[in-house]
Amino acid sequence: MGKITYKRLKGSQNMRQRLLLATLKSTPVLIEDIHAGDTLPGLRPHEISLLRLFEKLTDDCLIEINETGTKLKYKPGIIVGGSHLVHDCGFSRAIGYFLEPLILLGLFARKTLVIILKGITNDSKDPSVDTFRSTTFPLLRHFGVPSEGLKLEIKSRGVSPHGGGEVHLTIPTVQHLTATMWTDEGMVKRIRGEAFTTRVSIQLGNEMIYAARGIFNRLLPDVYIASDYRKRLEAGNSPGYGISLVAETTSGCCISADTTVSYPRGDEEEDIEDEGKKELIPAADVGEKLASVLLEEIEKGGVVDSTHQGLLFLLCALCPKDVSKVRVGKLSPYGIETLREIRDFLDVQFVIKPDPSTGTVILKCWGSGMKNLSRKTT
Amino acid sequence: MAMDIGADGQSHKAHRSRHSGSSAKKKTKARNKEQNSDQKQQNPKAFAFRSNAKAKRLQSRAIEKEQRRLHLPVIDRSYGELPPFVVVVQGPPQVGKSLLIKSLVKHYTKHNLPEVRGPITIVSGKQRRLQFVECPNDINGMIDAAKFADLALLLIDGSYGFEMETFEFLNILQVHGFPKVMGVLTHLDKFKDVKKLKKTKQRLKHRFWTEIYDGAKLFYLSGLIHGKYPKREVHNLARFISVMKFPPLSWRTSHPYILVDRLEDVTPPERLQMNSKCDRNVALYGYLRGCNLKKGTKVHIAGVGDFSLAGVTGLSDPCPLPSAAKKKGLRDKEKLFYAPMSGLGDLLYDKDAVYININDHFVQYSKVDEMEGTTNKGNKQDVGEALVKSLQTIKNPIDEKLEKSKISFFSQNPNSSLEAEDHNRGSDEAPKLIRDIEPLKQYQSNGEEDESDFDLDGSESSDQDESVSEGAMLKNEGRNFQEGNADVSERLGRVKEQVEFHNGRKRRKAIFGDGVDHSNLKSTDEENEGDEDDDDDDDDDDNDEGEDDRSNEDNESCSGSEFSDGDEEDLKSQDAMGNISKWRASLVERASKKQNTNLMQLVYGKSASISNTSANEVKDNGENEESDEDEFFKPKGQRAKNSIEGLNGGNINTEDCSKCTKFSELKNWKEEEVYESIRDRFVTGDWSKGALRNQMSEAKTEEDDMDGDFEDLETGEKYESHQKDDSSNGGIQKEDDDAIEERRLKKLALRAKFDSHYDGSESPEEETDIQNGGKFHRSQANDSGYYDKLKEEIELQKQINIAELEDLDETTRLEIEGLRTGMYLRLEVQDVPFEMIEYFDPCHPILVGGIGLGEENIGYMQTRLKRHRWHKKVLKTRDPIIVSIGWRRYQTTPVYAIEDQNGRHRMLKYTPEHMHCLAMFWGPLAPPKTGVLAVQNLSNNQAAFRIIATAYVLEFNHAARIVKKIKLVGYPCKIFKKTALIKDMFTSDLEVARFEGAAIRTVSGIRGQVKKAAKEEIGNQPKKKGGHAREGIARCTFEDRILMSDIVFLRAWTQVEVPQFYNPLTTSLQPRQKTWQGMKTVTELRREHNLPIPVNKDSLYKPIERKPRKFNPLVIPKALQADLPFESKPKSIPHQKRPLLEDRRAVVMEPHERKVHALVQHLQLIRNDKMKKRKHKEEQKWKEVEAQRARDEQVLRKRRREERQERYREQDKLKKKIRRHVEA
Repeated sequence: MGKITYKRLKGSQNMRQRLLLATLKSTPVLIEDIHAGDTLPGLRPHEISLLRLFEKLTDDCLIEINETGTKLKYKPGIIVGGSHLVHDCGFSRAIGYFLEPLILLGLFARKTLVIILKGITNDSKDPSVDTFRSTTFPLLRHFGVPSEGLKLEIKSRGVSPHGGGEVHLTIPTVQHLTATMWTDEGMVKRIRGEAFTTRVSIQLGNEMIYAARGIFNRLLPDVYIASDYRKRLEAGNSPGYGISLVAETTSGCCISADTTVSYPRGDEEEDIEDEGKKELIPAADVGEKLASVLLEEIEKGGVVDSTHQGLLFLLCALCPKDVSKVRVGKLSPYGIETLREIRDFLDVQFVIKPDPSTGTVILKCWGSGMKNLSRKTT
Repeated sequence: MAMDIGADGQSHKAHRSRHSGSSAKKKTKARNKEQNSDQKQQNPKAFAFRSNAKAKRLQSRAIEKEQRRLHLPVIDRSYGELPPFVVVVQGPPQVGKSLLIKSLVKHYTKHNLPEVRGPITIVSGKQRRLQFVECPNDINGMIDAAKFADLALLLIDGSYGFEMETFEFLNILQVHGFPKVMGVLTHLDKFKDVKKLKKTKQRLKHRFWTEIYDGAKLFYLSGLIHGKYPKREVHNLARFISVMKFPPLSWRTSHPYILVDRLEDVTPPERLQMNSKCDRNVALYGYLRGCNLKKGTKVHIAGVGDFSLAGVTGLSDPCPLPSAAKKKGLRDKEKLFYAPMSGLGDLLYDKDAVYININDHFVQYSKVDEMEGTTNKGNKQDVGEALVKSLQTIKNPIDEKLEKSKISFFSQNPNSSLEAEDHNRGSDEAPKLIRDIEPLKQYQSNGEEDESDFDLDGSESSDQDESVSEGAMLKNEGRNFQEGNADVSERLGRVKEQVEFHNGRKRRKAIFGDGVDHSNLKSTDEENEGDEDDDDDDDDDDNDEGEDDRSNEDNESCSGSEFSDGDEEDLKSQDAMGNISKWRASLVERASKKQNTNLMQLVYGKSASISNTSANEVKDNGENEESDEDEFFKPKGQRAKNSIEGLNGGNINTEDCSKCTKFSELKNWKEEEVYESIRDRFVTGDWSKGALRNQMSEAKTEEDDMDGDFEDLETGEKYESHQKDDSSNGGIQKEDDDAIEERRLKKLALRAKFDSHYDGSESPEEETDIQNGGKFHRSQANDSGYYDKLKEEIELQKQINIAELEDLDETTRLEIEGLRTGMYLRLEVQDVPFEMIEYFDPCHPILVGGIGLGEENIGYMQTRLKRHRWHKKVLKTRDPIIVSIGWRRYQTTPVYAIEDQNGRHRMLKYTPEHMHCLAMFWGPLAPPKTGVLAVQNLSNNQAAFRIIATAYVLEFNHAARIVKKIKLVGYPCKIFKKTALIKDMFTSDLEVARFEGAAIRTVSGIRGQVKKAAKEEIGNQPKKKGGHAREGIARCTFEDRILMSDIVFLRAWTQVEVPQFYNPLTTSLQPRQKTWQGMKTVTELRREHNLPIPVNKDSLYKPIERKPRKFNPLVIPKALQADLPFESKPKSIPHQKRPLLEDRRAVVMEPHERKVHALVQHLQLIRNDKMKKRKHKEEQKWKEVEAQRARDEQVLRKRRREERQERYREQDKLKKKIRRHVEA
């Protein structure tokens, strides 16, 4: 028993879920062949940053990375959480990338987690911080997380390539989640949203709003999209604009979509003059496209959008030993990967039944009986 | 539903009170009397509240008391048939434990039990089974027994009184969740005096009550009749047991556990031959209790260690409950009992075989037979022997050969099948070695006797399913022996028989062909269940593969997948065969299952990887992962993506991104038909359609799944989707259905709650009755608030779970929720130390506990510990103790601490006398709130109380944070004004740097601060002289100038290391009577090696000697002196040797003066004399008074004593009189 047996995994895929589940279940993992075939082998900066974040939140965790960074040994510690934490997320991925595992870690931590995250707040690759506020937090409420403690303040926005955003996140701890039967998707009753502009004209935000409303107005009158114009310190280091939309349904589901337009990262200083030449998508197009994306998400059905499927499944699997039942639209690749990771780590399988009449999928699972063990008893 | 079965159980006749007759009269009389007395009460207002405040206070107190009584309702997640309740019979040696079990078994089953070894399962009622276990007499056995006991019968020798074992066991029980306890007093026939008996009973009862609770049941067994307890009393005891309810205990409801009632060694015999001390493979059998067991769970075998399960199989229940058909009582036939370790119980089911036990005295040999046997012995045995030997010596058994020449119809995963077959070989050949040739003769004759029976079955030997389902697996062995060797080996492929003689009882093992005749069997068993499977399988290959694979996985060492299927089927419905309609129904179900699993397969790929990962994580997992990648059926979108990425490497390094929006392939939502298509998803659309869409609930989806068109090949009928139109038409109906479903669930929940409230008191058969009850209860629930709401929620959740799980078919359900509680399981564990088998003692039951989330990790645990009041000594930090936490027992070295006001954990050298303290130790983690029990000495011959402390886990950490005080002492080596250089406090400059800014103090109370390491030239003279610079001199500043004689302290806290030591107790790996020896305490070592206790001289207390301090005279500088006023100037007049003139001169008085002086002196003398006299007188007087007072006092005391004596005498007399009156 003295020796540590590592669970062997390969590749950098699903790094977040793997690390998260390994930490929650306290299974040591050994990941090999991380970007081994690439020209730049080894862990990516954001992955390293993620590891650092995990190290910050846990107590006595052990991370070993070999010289090339293609092999990672991770022995999780106990999730401690705590306040006055600061983490710099770097510029390779947005804060959303880190927030997804962070939320679950925070729920099962010893102390309430209060952390300042710095980096890129809005990105086209990861869900934006607005989406977390508007969609993810209400999602947690279905699993018995008190909504009072959940807080995400956007102090300043930053878009790629130079970031400069800062958010303050507070996550309460729970003893355990509660299983949910959440199959009623309801009908969309209102659409809300927020369009932001950093270091560009406020006019671009208004254009986006106008275009998006143009699509929605034919379907629903109750559409309100706020504009968030940031300047100076609050606007981060790079120009950009974006929009995030949420559709709320009669049964309390939130379906969201968001996007951000900014200059891509990777361009070094020498390209600065080229930036002007590079065409960004016009704001009106962005609004229109994103509205279409949201409508497509709504069309797919399910109680969450495709972005949140993974989180939803994780939450279901981490419930006590009760049956949870949720309905989602088409399974997203990320959702499927998450399901597999859940199977591998938590030994929880979902019963997946298609509902052909609506084109949705109903998933059922028997929770793993996860409890917050690190919380101190009095 | 099993719940329902449980619910509408026995209906009791309602109690009808008497309306006439003597007892009725008596009652009315009593009632009248009560009323009268109420009226007569002198002052009825006397006990009413006078003050408002008091009333309020009392009321709030009452409410508080009621709230304290409530416990947080716990969800009981065991659905369906409950495992037998474990009744542990515990007591000191020679108190009659075995006899009690024997008597109870006799009472229940009418069988005489020769000896009690291991758990004995019996059916005690229509819905209740019991498992009796005798608790062994050592502390390890007691601890284990306390962990699985549902009810503990504490046997107490009434003639002797309580013994320490009882109290020890009670304490152990309390720590591990406190199951139900009932005391049983025995040996009461030793009392000759009735009065004394009564008194003893009373005394023991009250002592028992203080230990448990007032009114705890203590049962009396008066004496023996014919060496057994009286029938009537055993009967009563049995009734007490039968009505007992067992509330769920939190640890056990969250961990699966198994009390092993059968243990087999399944090591391949080759390995045993090579090395008899090799690690063994062991099969453990028992009912699953606690919670569901998932396949990947690791287990802890108490006294052995942690293991991962190599295989788990659900077997058919060896001691099933009688069918719940309406019957008055149990039939004799159904009075089953099952005790394989005691050598009882007729049938033993294994995964792939059935053993029949025939008691020796049931087998009757005629004399002639025996004679014949002896005569025949020669040649008969030769045949048998030859056969056996040929079987043993054969190099490549036929099955192995067949394995090698494998015909595969379907593309099987070669790895897994080979592996499975490997297992086969192992398990099949294991018993061969045990075979004994000597008693073959008996066996032979036996075979001949029952030949008629065997012939019947033998003809159908290939029809395995049926024979399994029938239970009795009898094969014609006689024939086997008469046939030639070749013949046998030919048949070997299908059925092997092995005879085992084990502990004098006979076992015949029937083993089936080794998965070779896959195709063969398929073709022969036309109406087999497995065959249907195949038919379906032909339809789509993928599924078949998955299916096959899974079955292979499920029972790795099983022979044919058919058989296993059949087995499962068998579990599900006993007579699934034959009945055609049912058969078809199952077909439909199967088809529907196929559809479900399709998506699941898409997501999960083959389920093969699961059990592998659990089995040997490190070795296989990576490969699995890879192979999974290859085999995964990718969803359409992904497949395309993957094909682009192409390479394997790229495959495993896909970007981790939850968002997958593609802006390129968006529909044009401006077009009308496009946006109109989702109009109904908005509140502006058609509400009824939207509602319809949303409320496709479980019932609906289930039906939908069946919609998949499929064809019944046998009948040619086509099942097509009728539901499609149904769903579109009858939307409203669906809605209704949904509502109805919801209501049904609620009703079920209410009903279950109601039942739990009025357990068994009412018959829940009448539907209306229940509904009324439910409504009534709901209204009540609204009143009584939160607690009832919680309860209701829990019930609802439970019903939802049951309903949801019941939708699933058996295999998926097994995958989803794991093996259910109440199942009889066979666990296969590999690489167990051989000592476990060698020193296996059935009297010490083996507990196998599942390890929960994160419990296999090791770390520091912080517990709140209190030394037991009865343990004589305090505990010392770092002395090894043996703790029992969860399932585990291990030795560890705790560090005791106490939490200071500011949250600091300060180390304690010893535990406090009567207080809780913190104990930090290293070991496998247990979740917070788990009880901990500590023992120091495991030996049985220790007289005192063995439990030294109890505790519970507060939290766990990976780093221990306990500190102790440290005092660094230094001396000034140079003093400037307020600065001083301090030496000897630190050893190096680095150390000084660490303590920069630290507060220091001199003994005299001057405070200061460490500044920096001193520069060498200031403090270090030697450097200049070419010596080495002395390090560790600190420059410190003080609030005042210190002296060279001052001692300077630095008070700090230093981290205390908790030793990373833990040593699991391997008591099952040694002879049971031997005391386990772990790490010894320092005391023990000292005693052993005869070492004295080391004494630190500096730590001894000595009388403090303080020399009077000599101060130097105050010297005032001359310049200062000059300025002083004359008064303050020191006047340095030299000391004169001769006295001054004033002193020397004589005084001469005047005559008058002299006179006056003399007179005054006289007067003074007179007065003094007077005063002296008066004083003397007063003293005298005082003495007299004192004496008088003393005398009075004495008299008074005497009188008082007499008075008291008189009064007591009176009282005593009165009491006696009253008693006499009462007795009269």
